[in-house]
Amino acid sequence: MANDTKDREIFLSRTLNAPVALVWEVWTQPEHIANWWGPTGFTNTISTMDMRAGGEWNLVMHGPDGKDYINKSIFKEVILHKKIVYEHVSYPRLVATIEFAEQGDKTLITWHMLFESREQFIEVAKAHKVVEGQKQNVEKLEAYLAALISK
Amino acid sequence: MFASTYLHIMKARRDVFQAIADPTRREIINMIASQPLNVNAIAEKFDVSRQAVSLHIQILIDCGLVTAKQQGRDRLCEAKLDQLSEVARWVDQYKQHWESKLDNLESYIEQLKKQRDGKHGK
Repeated sequence: MANDTKDREIFLSRTLNAPVALVWEVWTQPEHIANWWGPTGFTNTISTMDMRAGGEWNLVMHGPDGKDYINKSIFKEVILHKKIVYEHVSYPRLVATIEFAEQGDKTLITWHMLFESREQFIEVAKAHKVVEGQKQNVEKLEAYLAALISK
Repeated sequence: MFASTYLHIMKARRDVFQAIADPTRREIINMIASQPLNVNAIAEKFDVSRQAVSLHIQILIDCGLVTAKQQGRDRLCEAKLDQLSEVARWVDQYKQHWESKLDNLESYIEQLKKQRDGKHGK
């Protein structure tokens, strides 16, 4: 029971309508990854992305509230067009494994994240809930203001 | 003095996340999930002091995951697990957050494909 990882992991998969070479490119080049990483309303700055075992990856997400979120990771395994494993060494600590499977001109991407501890996992989920709530509040306020202005 | 200050701090945050953030508390919930147990019976299973176990149980009570009924000189603790679904819901929302990252990736790839097709002409 104690070694069961079910309560501290996330598993996602998606079939993307693009050949594996393009998906790989978009995942591994900083100028691309900055365009899709992070929640809506965030921008990203990538200072290092050394895609080889032991290489560093430094990504800072800039929140809509002006807050910066530092993400430092170390790549553990990189297999061209097949697999990326990285360890997120900033909080929350986790190991992510992303696998790419060629399916003709489509690509099945599977994304597994194993958090170091259940404690960190639920803390982050909770913090995220708070952030989501704030975001929704801002959206509501914006809608409200827009309605007021148009009157 | 220390114990009461500690209790005060722990009482400051009482929600279901606080309740299950600690391994001892999770263990206590597991123990009483199937049948109610006395504080003494719970404390016997742990290496930590009865006082520490008592404090954990108090936090679980404050968080609404456990109810305690006086039973002679001891208290009978019963699990109220409805609240745990709140955790499941929040974890689910967190998972949705990562799903949206894949949504972003997907639409970015679509956009990129269109741009490139445009450049090369069809």
